[in-house]
Amino acid sequence: MSAHLYALSTCPYCRMTKKFLDEHDVAYELTEVDLLDGDVKDAESPKGAAAAEVKRLSGGTSFPVLVVGDEVVVGFNKGRMTQLLGL
Amino acid sequence: MSAENRPARRVFGLGTTIEDLKAYMGPFVGHLGYKFNTETDFVDDVLDSELLVLDRDGDVFCPCRMRTGDPKEDLKIVCPCIPFYADQFAAMRKCWCGLFIRTDVEDGADLIGVIEQPEAGALVEVPVMRLEDLLPGSVRHVKIGKRDLAVARVGDEVFALSNLCRHAFGPLSDGFVDGYTLACPWHGWRYDVRDGTTDHPNADVSTFPVAVRDGEVLVTVAIGRSR
Repeated sequence: MSAHLYALSTCPYCRMTKKFLDEHDVAYELTEVDLLDGDVKDAESPKGAAAAEVKRLSGGTSFPVLVVGDEVVVGFNKGRMTQLLGL
Repeated sequence: MSAENRPARRVFGLGTTIEDLKAYMGPFVGHLGYKFNTETDFVDDVLDSELLVLDRDGDVFCPCRMRTGDPKEDLKIVCPCIPFYADQFAAMRKCWCGLFIRTDVEDGADLIGVIEQPEAGALVEVPVMRLEDLLPGSVRHVKIGKRDLAVARVGDEVFALSNLCRHAFGPLSDGFVDGYTLACPWHGWRYDVRDGTTDHPNADVSTFPVAVRDGEVLVTVAIGRSR
């Protein structure tokens, strides 16, 4: 199942999530939104587009946001990740 | 540098350390009924992340949230953010990230990571200050989320009322306490702090239950409501 992690380079919970996924050998695509080019208010820029996507997926501006199939996990939530990834 | 020798104010910037942040935030959150998480490695990790954000973005914004670019919105994610979400945090026993936990939590390990958010509308006791922060015969403005309250002390009793006078919306928290009466600072409309009643018809203000325990002043409100 494909997984996509939206993260911030500054975010401790994003680091915990990456560590958790790595320890369980989960392959995932990683987007570190704050490291992208552009302006968060400019939806045409990579950063603005990614921020808008995170807002659409999670309803907010909090990270990490993990997308597994059609499901979205906001925050470092071991229980839900374990369940969704079948770990 | 010891706390005694530290300047009263310092401007955050390059050279700010984790210890500076602890010295700045710790006493403040103590007034609100919180302390740093007992998991010291986690605390240092979060504060180290805040320093990265400080260096890059100019203030200690939450390291797990994206700035919106709207200064007014972004100021809500400067750490500590406790008063903005005081009702939800009181129910969760921690702030969003768990950097801060309620003072009576002995082990904060379980409060790291996502925990269930409290149900909107549920009643919760919110710590707003320590009793010694409010002198007898005085009144203070307290924010709990979007609520504005006047918290008044009469002897060792404490009372909480909606802060807006029903006459011309003067701030009751700037008013005058005389016995159980709180007079609005603008035109002197008088309210009984015990039940919010006033001399004027149909102009009573809401009151909120208050408890004082272990030196903390706790106001009971419904989670997520503005009144």
